[in-house]
Amino acid sequence: MNTNLKISNVTKIYPGCVANDNVSLEFNSGKIYALLGENGAGKSTLVKILSGVIIPDEGKIYLNENNLKLNSPLDAKKNDIGMVFQHFNLFETLSVFENLIIDSDEQRESLREKIDTIIKKYNFSIDLDIPVLNLSAGQKQKVEIIRCLIRSPKVLIMDEPTSVLTEQETSELFLSLKKFSEEGILIIYITHKLKEVMQLCDEVAVMRRGKLVSVSEIKNENIESLANKMVGQNLKTIKKKKAKTSSDQLIKITNLNFTSEDPFETNLMDINFSVNRGECLGIAGISGNGQSELFQVLSGEIISEKNSIEFNNNYIGDLSPQERREYLMAFSPEDRLEQAAIPQMKIFENVALNNFKSSNFFNNGLINENKIKEHSKKIISDFNVNTDNIELKSQFLSGGNLQKLIIGRELITSPDLLICFNPTWGLDVGAINYIHETLIKINEQNKSIILISTDTDELLKLSDKISVIHKGKLSTIMNAEEVTSEKLGILMGGAN
Amino acid sequence: MIIDINFIGLIIASIMASAVPLILASCGELITERSGVLNLGVEGMMIIGAISGFALMTVTGSLIIAVFGAMLAGVLISTIFAFLTQTLITNHVATGLALTIFGIGISAMIGKNFVGIPGKEFPVLFEGLKDTIPLLGPILFGHSIVFYFAFALPFITSYFLKKTKIGLIVRAVGDSPESASNQGINVKLVRYACILYGGAMSGLAGAYLSMIYTPQWIENMTGGRGWIALALVVFSTWNPIKILIGAMIFGGLTIIQFHMQAIGVRIPVQFLTALPYIVTIIVLVVISRDSRKIRLSTPSSLGKSFHKDN
Repeated sequence: MNTNLKISNVTKIYPGCVANDNVSLEFNSGKIYALLGENGAGKSTLVKILSGVIIPDEGKIYLNENNLKLNSPLDAKKNDIGMVFQHFNLFETLSVFENLIIDSDEQRESLREKIDTIIKKYNFSIDLDIPVLNLSAGQKQKVEIIRCLIRSPKVLIMDEPTSVLTEQETSELFLSLKKFSEEGILIIYITHKLKEVMQLCDEVAVMRRGKLVSVSEIKNENIESLANKMVGQNLKTIKKKKAKTSSDQLIKITNLNFTSEDPFETNLMDINFSVNRGECLGIAGISGNGQSELFQVLSGEIISEKNSIEFNNNYIGDLSPQERREYLMAFSPEDRLEQAAIPQMKIFENVALNNFKSSNFFNNGLINENKIKEHSKKIISDFNVNTDNIELKSQFLSGGNLQKLIIGRELITSPDLLICFNPTWGLDVGAINYIHETLIKINEQNKSIILISTDTDELLKLSDKISVIHKGKLSTIMNAEEVTSEKLGILMGGAN
Repeated sequence: MIIDINFIGLIIASIMASAVPLILASCGELITERSGVLNLGVEGMMIIGAISGFALMTVTGSLIIAVFGAMLAGVLISTIFAFLTQTLITNHVATGLALTIFGIGISAMIGKNFVGIPGKEFPVLFEGLKDTIPLLGPILFGHSIVFYFAFALPFITSYFLKKTKIGLIVRAVGDSPESASNQGINVKLVRYACILYGGAMSGLAGAYLSMIYTPQWIENMTGGRGWIALALVVFSTWNPIKILIGAMIFGGLTIIQFHMQAIGVRIPVQFLTALPYIVTIIVLVVISRDSRKIRLSTPSSLGKSFHKDN
């Protein structure tokens, strides 16, 4: 049976922002639809309306000509609309089976049978009786998908599903989605990744600033045309110039080990590498293979042996992050809002946080607010942060603006080395471009970067040398020109 | 010296009796905390239960009305907590502390007229069987219905959490209220119910103290048992069976140190009085060391307010 889903004149207004401005769209089963847009374009709001999480101010939803009243997630489920959120809605401490049974009215035994059939049919490999926190991101997503499939949905909505997946897992997901589509499930795929749209989808709707910009068939589009529609202007493609080969060594890591007492952390084993001035070392890997531990060891959040880290001819392994900053290191952690900035504090207060000694922000223990504000304004204008209110709490900045602010804060003291961890995670194309340009500029000024990232394309674009981290061990360090994304994929999977 | 074997039985029975209010209040609080709500008002709810039970017994003369009235009083005062923390989204810790202070104050005020009035005798079950089995007889028989209920409660609680759908929903809400809400579970309703249940159990624990354990009203008669109950929940890592063990150790040491003081053992009294607290915590920490299991049984959202946004 054919499924037809119609969104008619949907509007949702938040104070100070129109999230959805009179959006109308129509979907038919048998095709995979992409809903494309930058962060904040309104696509998440739209799918939350479809899944009953948000109630629109105006507009109607029709499924097969029936007007749906979606006042809660339960209503969406009852009307055969399944949704896999970007942030998983799973209960980490419950077992997989408990997660699946919780919203089902079926008996344990019959449900188990049903789940087993689904698992067999789509070749998922998941142990139903272990707690969800032991699963990889890809497996968690499969649990979410199974949860939808149990109810045999007519519509399946996937919100940014690949942001946490490896390439292998992504291609598995695509195969499954194509299979679902063949079986008559209408698939709506939300993303800001253009490559995926081209690979997977049949039709694409582009949103920008709450408005629907275009609906077209994929065969009439290409990556550039979609990117321009999404951003609303022509994007220049940036390329890194080949680095001058310098042999002036800046940082050297020797036999660095880290053993954690927390069973959910990864131990680091025998890490050795060095970075020269003006160079960018990329560290690739599937998330959870020791990247966050490596970042913490390098930044000084975890103290190691004094001699294991040599920076500018000083041994600094036992120094705290603050002391390392004195030696002109700078850090941009993965979690912008928890690690890099304090969400409830104002922009200028956050700016002051990492500049305790080297600046004149403080006089005899008192805060020199004017100085800090002046400095913050400079960062905001130099680094293109899209706000002029430095009194704004940093939690209200978009991801892209916050990342620019953080990078700006780190760079304005002109450090010799910037260590960043997934700097463009979850950002839109415009912001990613800006961050990449900035990082390239740093290298051109003969300063160095250690870039820990799960985004292979980013690493290939920015790095001079690349290594792969797997289960806490680094692979040999390769020249970036000799590396392909396929090769990285193999190394990330743990093969030699 | 020959010790009568039945005497040992009696001591064990008295240890168990002193553990009853701890088990009741802890198992109630455990359900509350498993849903992600930290109610520090246990002491306050207990003392309200104690005075309500005693007052109702004196006024109406009915034990049944008194026991259920005490539970109802616990429910009512916990409704205040639930309304504040769930509907008005106030801070759990501050609200819970206020509840305890409120409870202690209001119970003292109501209790003024009940000081010095003797309690009633509470009927016990299986009295006749007490002498039929040596040692076990005094342990198993001749106790109040509340006593038997308390010792069944940890097992009922454990079964409820592990095996029933509602128990699963309670754990899910405690793990991630956001996810639960997105799954269509009414988080507020679940949390309200868990808070009210915790109130009822605390009320019952209080009634046990003022009507059965020491049948009279004394101001501040809970004497910190509510805080011990709270500590038991945390140190047992939210496991009802371990609460039972902890409550027995605590009750046991309390009773034994009384006897030691009476015999005149040469250990400072302060140390003896502190002993139950220290040993209970050490034992519970030792038996709950598995960090993986702690991670799995700790309600991740404990003490965090949940507000659904639209």
